[in-house]
Amino acid sequence: MGRALDQVSGVLAAPALAVQTPATLLEPVEDIREECNEAPNFLDSIFWMAAPKKRRTIEVNRCRRRNPKKLIKVKTNIDICPECGNLKQKHVLCGYCYKKIKMETGLIRIQIKEKEAGPFNAPTVETVVLYEGEKPTEQDEGKRIIERNRKRPNWFTQN
Amino acid sequence: MRLSLAAAIYHGRVHRRLGLGPRSRLDMLRNLVTALVRHERIEAPWARADEMRFYAERLIDYGKRGDADEQAMRMADFWLTEKDLIHKLFKLLAPRFQSYSGNYTRLLQIPNRENLDRAKMAVIEYKGNPFPPLIVVHRDNEKTLLNQLLKGYREDILKTRATQVPEEAPASLYTGTAV
Repeated sequence: MGRALDQVSGVLAAPALAVQTPATLLEPVEDIREECNEAPNFLDSIFWMAAPKKRRTIEVNRCRRRNPKKLIKVKTNIDICPECGNLKQKHVLCGYCYKKIKMETGLIRIQIKEKEAGPFNAPTVETVVLYEGEKPTEQDEGKRIIERNRKRPNWFTQN
Repeated sequence: MRLSLAAAIYHGRVHRRLGLGPRSRLDMLRNLVTALVRHERIEAPWARADEMRFYAERLIDYGKRGDADEQAMRMADFWLTEKDLIHKLFKLLAPRFQSYSGNYTRLLQIPNRENLDRAKMAVIEYKGNPFPPLIVVHRDNEKTLLNQLLKGYREDILKTRATQVPEEAPASLYTGTAV
């Protein structure tokens, strides 16, 4: 727009007016027309966009969607835990039994915390957990005793 | 030897990349080792527990050298950030594992973490800890269903043999017992 106006003013007041403009403004108008011609001409340009040639039939689609690579694999490593009867994977511990043991160790740790009574008081002797009505044996001679107020669970054997 | 893991980390490298960098990895492993020595059983992501296992067992080997050893004391000082655990290492863990030559830890996989990430978790513990055992070994009991059924079947066979003996000739009994 600015360019066109400059051209017009240069033609009308030709010799008298000397316009100080940079060289880029004095290019011929034909460049714009060339660009408009080239824009929709995809056949000559280097880049070619990919598009599907034909509709994929339902048979081909089914082959792709249902081949074994895309289906969910069946797991054959699921067993029943012999203790509680819940399902477990063969190489993994049973979730129910582990939670049970974790709860019990949590309660034991609460007792340990009470006994230690403060941070950074780790003992230098072994620890033994005794349940209701149990006496320390000769093996538990120099050990620190942690007492729990319940009957010994049958999955926690004494030796 | 972790042959399967070496295949997962290309070209046979042994160290995993954890945390923000090598220093961060060592700090993270140091925290885990300190926690393991303090609590003797911890839960952690499987990769970290597996990586930490080597360092925990090496620490016990250093502990076995005794606290008079300068190198052992420096190692324990670096790896255990809580200094009362150095006493625990040299006076409790080293004597406990005197009879073992290796494999002081046990690493077991747990069901995946409950969070959104469903991370593969493991529990790692020093053997000989005072807590309830994670794997309960059961001997076959006489009271199991299978054993009771077999016992009943055995008794039935003996009863039928006892009732058949007075009817049949004694010669056939001998052939029966020979089989």
